[in-house]
Order: sequence, then structure tokens, then C-alpha cells
Amino acid sequence: MALTGYPRRFPALKVLTDEQIERIHSGVLRVLWTTGVHMEHRGALDILARAGCRVDYDDWRVRYPPALVEEALRQCPSSFSIKTRDPSMSLQVGGNCLYMLPFPGHHTVDLDTWEPRHPTRKEFYDGVKVLDALESVHGLWSYTPYFGFEGVPPSMCLLESMAGKIRNSGKFLTEGYSKGSEQYTIRMAQAVGAEVCVPCLLSPPLTYYEDAIAAGLRGAEAGLPVRISEGAVYGGTAPASIAGALVSACANLIAPIVLLQLHRPGTRIFLNDFTFPQNMTTGAPGFGNIAIALHSAAFNQIWRRYGVPVCNGAAVPGSKRIDFQSGYERAMNAVLFAVSGANFILLHGGVAAELTHHPLQAILDDDISGMIGRFLEGIEVSDDSLALDVIEAVGPVPGHFLSSQHTRKWWRAEQYVPKAADRLTYPEWLKSGKKDCLAYARERMEDILAHHKPPALTASQEEEIERILEEARAHYAKEGLITADEMETYRRGMNAPGYPYE
Amino acid sequence: MAMRGFVRNFPPLNILSEEDVESVHRGMLRVLWTTGVRIEHKRGLDVLESAGCKVDRDTNRVHMPPALVEECIRRAPSSFSWRAKDPAKSLTMGGNTLYFAPAPGQHTIDLDTFEPRPATRKEYYDAVRVLDYLPTLHFFTTYTPYFGYAGVPPCMGMLESLAARLRNSSKAVVVGHSYNSERFAIQIAQALGIEVMGTCTAAPPLTYFEDAIDSAFSLSEAGMPVRITGAPVMGASAPATLAGSLVSNLVEVMSALVLVQTIRPGTRTMLLDFAMPMNMSTGAPAFGNVAVCIHISAFNQVCRRYGIPTYNADGYPGSKRPDYQSAYEKSFRAIFTGLSGGSSRPLHGGVYGELSHSPLQAVLDDDIAGMVGRYLEGMSVTDETLALDLIEQVGPVPGHFLGQAHTRKWWKQEQYIPKSSDKLTYPEWLQSGKKSCIDYARERMEDIIATHRPMPLTDRQEDDLERILEDAREHYRKTGRISSDEMTAYRAALVSGGPTSA
Repeated sequence: MALTGYPRRFPALKVLTDEQIERIHSGVLRVLWTTGVHMEHRGALDILARAGCRVDYDDWRVRYPPALVEEALRQCPSSFSIKTRDPSMSLQVGGNCLYMLPFPGHHTVDLDTWEPRHPTRKEFYDGVKVLDALESVHGLWSYTPYFGFEGVPPSMCLLESMAGKIRNSGKFLTEGYSKGSEQYTIRMAQAVGAEVCVPCLLSPPLTYYEDAIAAGLRGAEAGLPVRISEGAVYGGTAPASIAGALVSACANLIAPIVLLQLHRPGTRIFLNDFTFPQNMTTGAPGFGNIAIALHSAAFNQIWRRYGVPVCNGAAVPGSKRIDFQSGYERAMNAVLFAVSGANFILLHGGVAAELTHHPLQAILDDDISGMIGRFLEGIEVSDDSLALDVIEAVGPVPGHFLSSQHTRKWWRAEQYVPKAADRLTYPEWLKSGKKDCLAYARERMEDILAHHKPPALTASQEEEIERILEEARAHYAKEGLITADEMETYRRGMNAPGYPYE
Repeated sequence: MAMRGFVRNFPPLNILSEEDVESVHRGMLRVLWTTGVRIEHKRGLDVLESAGCKVDRDTNRVHMPPALVEECIRRAPSSFSWRAKDPAKSLTMGGNTLYFAPAPGQHTIDLDTFEPRPATRKEYYDAVRVLDYLPTLHFFTTYTPYFGYAGVPPCMGMLESLAARLRNSSKAVVVGHSYNSERFAIQIAQALGIEVMGTCTAAPPLTYFEDAIDSAFSLSEAGMPVRITGAPVMGASAPATLAGSLVSNLVEVMSALVLVQTIRPGTRTMLLDFAMPMNMSTGAPAFGNVAVCIHISAFNQVCRRYGIPTYNADGYPGSKRPDYQSAYEKSFRAIFTGLSGGSSRPLHGGVYGELSHSPLQAVLDDDIAGMVGRYLEGMSVTDETLALDLIEQVGPVPGHFLGQAHTRKWWKQEQYIPKSSDKLTYPEWLQSGKKSCIDYARERMEDIIATHRPMPLTDRQEDDLERILEDAREHYRKTGRISSDEMTAYRAALVSGGPTSA
């Protein structure tokens, strides 16, 4: 039984006409054939050349014939399942189903000063625990909750992060790669009977470096799902117009799709739209900007036509704290992703850009997710819900519906009652000491940390995870990617009481 | 030249199937005919009876035949203009255009303690000044910004409110009705050469009292536009289901529509949806609940079929301060009115429920409105925006789009850049003293109050206004609605704080 997530029970919003989609599609084909993509991976170029692409080995440029592109898109499954350590948390990706995932942060944030700082090992594991407890978090994302934690050398951050997620949650996993780390994440997931989704990240415009292609191929060879992420900034690494950025995004994403479908036909793939407009006056990415939601809506509409599931990742606030601005930046983008047909949304816990994350924020976002999920359910129109006979029986004033059987049956199902929101009247609120959503979220967070028990690993699974970590530590130390000083600090953390987590 | 509002350039979101819409429509017709509505107004009953309704004089119950209802729906214009004090601020309601109004609050709030307190006359006029300035605010609805100000007797609240808006703003205005205040409001409008949209408000379930019907007669006879209000509390004055409360709300607004379209065919009418879910465990209205978003989306969809402009009245957060919670509550409402094809809604300035309003909040909400408006515009797909030649010319890394003429031309119009938001990087933010959106909004608000000069009334308009206000004061004093003590306090309030108009 897979997680049901949030099924959307009405047609998705369409911001493009069919004719506009057609124009964008032809534009994408033209870019792939005329301009082509730079792909720095010899083996990939061989595969693509054999299949009929025009390959220029001197400057790593690949040009894709339209028919090959169309064929590769057809080979992508439009819906597929992903196995998780806890079988009840497995996913059925695609169609009208929406899953919500957390948003990463480089650091945690101090809730009094709103300044970022490195999380400790305990904070990392606590962060995972909160995400595991929240029902609206349907899986975990790479670099979540944080990019790593104190005392871990950079080359081991992703693997320690992966281990933390495996130990403290049975939910869906995807993890980044660096210096070949994906070979270890794949084994860790296998050790607990899960499938890790392997990313393949592009360097816009139109460029893939060797590590990205190696990771994608390795994932496909292992029979794992692969996610391809587009991270362009329009005006910087893509055209400043949304339509142009969209053509560029689709061309970028199709390049490795063709490769993976040639290498292992039927590979499960989903795509992450993680693009931002740039503020050309300040040079800063326009985090939270509404142009993101338009880009994603069009993106979702095009990929629905192609039949490839999509993730919308960019509902990330520009505000540095949890406040009114971060609320509208996140809520508006996220809800627009949802109604325009996203299959995944990255949401919970990201505070400022990709720079900070906090479990308190994740709890607040649990309510935004609940609201989105309830909206997607829509309205039941039936004889019972139309209630014409109840209306007739009650009649005009002084009739009322307060004590009717119909009210008792229905009222709760029609709402989503937020868990960490101020729902008091003014007098009650004054009496409560003016509690706000942050205060409610903090209580809920403390309660989760005190009581939630993530599904434990078996002793042999734990042993296997630790063994793979040790192997990776030895490998990166040998490669010179962990200095002796770094290793000493790292070991001190491992020898501390309560390792890896209590 | 009218105010353009926000135009939606793609098809609306349909959360109901066509079959669902048909079921709701038939349900509405059945209730109008079988159950009927109670109308406490002799002349109203006479008019409806001669139009073909079945009227029971003992219970004041009116049963409306389906053919009459359908005919009256046809008589209501699907789009109409509404004259403001400044012709450039006149509105064209209907079609794909969305207009925003302020959200009312009984009181203002203290910005340090967030506690509510009555507004002074100066605060009232300053709040109107701010709303007059904000470009995303298109008209004033009833009870905005505040229900009145300190010293004004309740019966004069509506008229003093109207006077303040006419003095400190040139935007279109809606007036409510209390103790037949609409008659003075109409006189004022006629003397000043503007149009006021009046209201006719149901008392759910299925009941209209005399004052509401008086207002409907006065307005339609004077040729003014009428806004018809249903305001079901789900589970109390309407069924607890979304579908059932949708039917009962439609029955309420449609019965008054039949009346005004019979009194004066072609009367410009706007239908208002104001469903409030209730927390049946606590008995509190569930301000901010997502069920409202579903309700308005369905209401707008049904009314699009009728071709009658709508107003979604529920812009009211449950939070007591501008924070994360109030932002997601507000964003959801604003975006769903826009997506589902609503013609107008309140947004700006409402803090908690209908209980508090603040110009600082209105300045923050200007950015939410701007984002919604930008989204509704959609995206342009042309050779120029697709930018295929530019993509070809830039090519893969190290190519980039910075400094391109195309980028300079397009970047700004593709985004909406909020005016009161933190857009700094972390280092800049620390240097700024960690300024938040509230700090930016406060600066903007103070700047508007200090420098914005609303379009003044002519001397003659001011004389007419003051003369009619004096008539009203005299009328309510004579009819015992204003005691002599109240009158003394009132006179003092009128001169407090010095002149407040430009």
C-alpha cells in the first residue's frame, strides 16, 4: 500500500493554450537539434552518437534529432512506484497525486536572532525526526534537513545526511552526489530494502558535467528512479522571459532523459523545476517571486503532455525569518504549484532561500500542506451533501442547522483545522498571553521531539549502514578529501556518548 | 477610462464538473420553489407576487418559479461600469477582471501590542488616504477601513465612513444599510455626481428583513448598482457541507436578485459569497479556514455560468497579527478568487476576522495583490519571448544571459517585485539591522500618509456632502437614534485632530 498523498479531484489549471504548448514544444526540439547540449561524459557521447545524435567530440556538443527525443519521452513511465524502508510509506508517483517534501537549508536558524548557524548532530537527527512525524511530509529530500552537521568533513556530509535520514525515518529518500558518493547512498538504501532516487543535476545553460552524468547513469544501471533538476536563473543562465526560460529548461532536461532511456529503457524519471527569476538591479535571485509559480505552472502543463512526473521546488522565501512575507511567498507559490498539477512540492522547513531550515518552520508548513491537500479534494456534490431536504426541513429564520444530524456528520470533513494556528477569539487570545502560530508550532515541535518514535533499524541494518559509512570514510581519507585534523574532529563526534543518536 | 484591475489571461480553475454545476443549479431552483424564502416586506411581497411568485402572506414566505428565476438571471448584466468620484477610477465589473477592496475591521490595532482599539477620526482619514494611494486597491467596500471612529454614534457610522472616503479618496465606494442610511448615501451620491453601490443583505437561513429590502428598493429605483449578500455560517445558518451551503447561499442571493430585477430590469447586481465554516467543538467561526477557498471557487464557477459578477467576502484571517499564519490565510483566499474567476474581493488591511484593520497591513497586502495580479496576467509566448535565437547565440556554459538586450527588456515585466519585502542577502540584511517586511511596510505607510494628496472634493461637493450629513444627523436625533450626550461627543469628535482631508 503506497501513501495516497494528496489526490487532485479536478482538472489542473492551464496557463497555456494548446497552441502555445505546441510552439514551446517546437522551440525545445529546435534548440536540442540546432544548438544542442554540452555533455562532458565520453561514455554518454558514445551512447548518444550510436543512437543517431550528431556529436562533436571536440567540444562535447550533442545535437538531438526530434524523432529520438519523442521516442525517449514515450519511454518515460508516466507513473511508477518507489520502494521505501517502511513499506507503508512507499510512493506511487504521477497522475493526479501530489506528494509534499521538505525543503533543505544549509544551516539551522536561531529563533531569537534569526541568524544562521551550523546544526549539531543532535539537531540534524531531531530535524529528521520531526519530518518523520509530520503526516504531510511524504518523503525526504537531498540535503534535508541540513547540508550536514558540525564536525563532519565536507566529503562525508551527504553520506552522514543519508544515514541520519535512514536511521530516523522510513520515508522516501533522495540524496545528492559529490565525488562519487552516490555509490554509497545506493548501497545504504539497498541495505534497508529501500530505493534511493538518484539526482542528475544540470549546470545551465545547456551543460552537464561528468559527475552529473555519471550519477544519472549509475542510478539507471542500478534500476533506481532518477530525478533531473533544472536550476536556472532567468536573466542569468536562461532567457529573462518566462517562455524562453521554459524552452531552455525543457531542452536542458530532455538531454539526459534521452541518454537514460537509451541506456536503460523505462527508467523511472521525475523532473524538478527549481528555477528563479533574477532581480537584475541587485543581482540577487528573486526568491519567493510570483514569476516562479507561472514558470512552474507552464512547466507542469508541458510535462503533463510529455507524461513525465514533475516536482516544483522553488517555493522558497526571500525573508530571513518566519513572518508575513515568508508566509505569502511560500503559500502562494506552493498552492499554485499544487493546482497546476505538481506531483511533488518541496515545502517543509525551509526558512530563507536554501540557506536555513528549521523544524518549527516544518510544523507551520504542515498546516499549509493540510490546506493544500484539502483544497485539492474539492467538493463532494451528492444528494447528501447538497442537503436539499435538510434545507427544506430547517426553513427560514428562526430555523438553524446547529443540532442537525447532518451537521454532526459533515462539519469536520469539510474543513482542514490547522494544528499550529491561532484560532482563538480576541478575549481568549489576550488570556492566552497573545499566543501566535510560532508559539503553537514550538509546543507541537517539543511534543514531537519528546514522544515521536521513528521506525527503528534492525541491529543488522544498523551495522550495515555503519559499515558502509566506515568504508566511505576510509575511501575519502585515502583520496585526500579528509585531512588528519578533520578526521580527528569527526572521530571525536563518533565517539561521543549516544552516537549516532539517542 | 476606467481602472483596469487585474485581468486573467487564461481559463479559470474549475473545481466542479459541469454535472456538479447542474446539480447545484437545480438544487437552487428547487429550494427557491419548494422551500421558498421569507421576506419581511409588504411591498416586496406585492412586487414578487405580481411577477408570478407564490406568496403566503401569513408566513411571508415567497416561492419563486424556476422560469422567473432564469429570466431574472438573464436580466442581470454580465458586466457593468460603476462611476467613481474620479472618472479615471471608475470600474468595469465582470468578465476576466479582478478588483480588490479593503477588508473591514471594527477597530484599529496598536502596532506594538497588536491589541484592538477604536480608531480616532484622524486615524480613520489617514487609513483612507493610504488605501486611496495603493495601486492594487480598486474600491472601498462597506465598513472599510473601520466600522466608524471614536465618538460617532452607531447610526451615523456608515455615513461618516462614506464621507471620509469621498473626502480622502477618489475610488468607487460601496455603502451598507442601517436604519435606512442608504437613503442619505444615495442623496450624497446624486449630489456629488457619483454612483454608490449599495447592499441588500440576507439573514440566513433564507430570510430578508425589512431594512434589507428597503435598501434594495431605494437602490434599484435610484438606478444604483446593488450588491446582494448571503452569509451562511456552515453548520449554523446553512448546512455544514460545502455543497449544501453553496446552494443555500445561492438561494439567498438569487431571491433578492429576482426582486431587484423585477423592480428595475437590468439593475447592475453583484453577488456576494460569504460562507463561514464553524468549529463545532468550540462554537467559534473558523476564520482563515481553507473550506472558504473551496466555497468561493465553486460559487464563482456557478456565477460564471450565470454571467453575474461576484464578490468573495471572506478575506479574514484567524491570526491576530500580520504573521506567517495570516499571510498564508490571506494568500490562499486572494489567489483562489483570482483563479476561479471571482470579480472582486476584500484583502487589504484586515488583520483579524472583521474585528481589526490596519493601514500597515494594507501596505503589506498591496504586495499580495500585486503577486496575484501578475500571476493572472499569465505569460506571453511569442518569437521574442521564446528567444530561440538568443539561446542559440548564448549556447552552453560559459554562455550567459546577463547584459543581453533581451534580458534588460524583459526581466522586470516577467516578475512582480514586492514593495515592502526583505530582498537582501544575509550580509546586507545583518547590516540593515535585520529589517523585516513590517519595517519596510511601516516606512512606506508613513511616507504615504506624509505625502499622498487625495483628489479633493470641489467646494460645492463639500457643501452638499456636509449639508446631507447634517440632515442625517438631524433625522437620527429626531428619531431618537442619537441621544443628546452622544451628539455632544459626536460634535467634539468631528473637530478633533484638525482637518484631515487634503
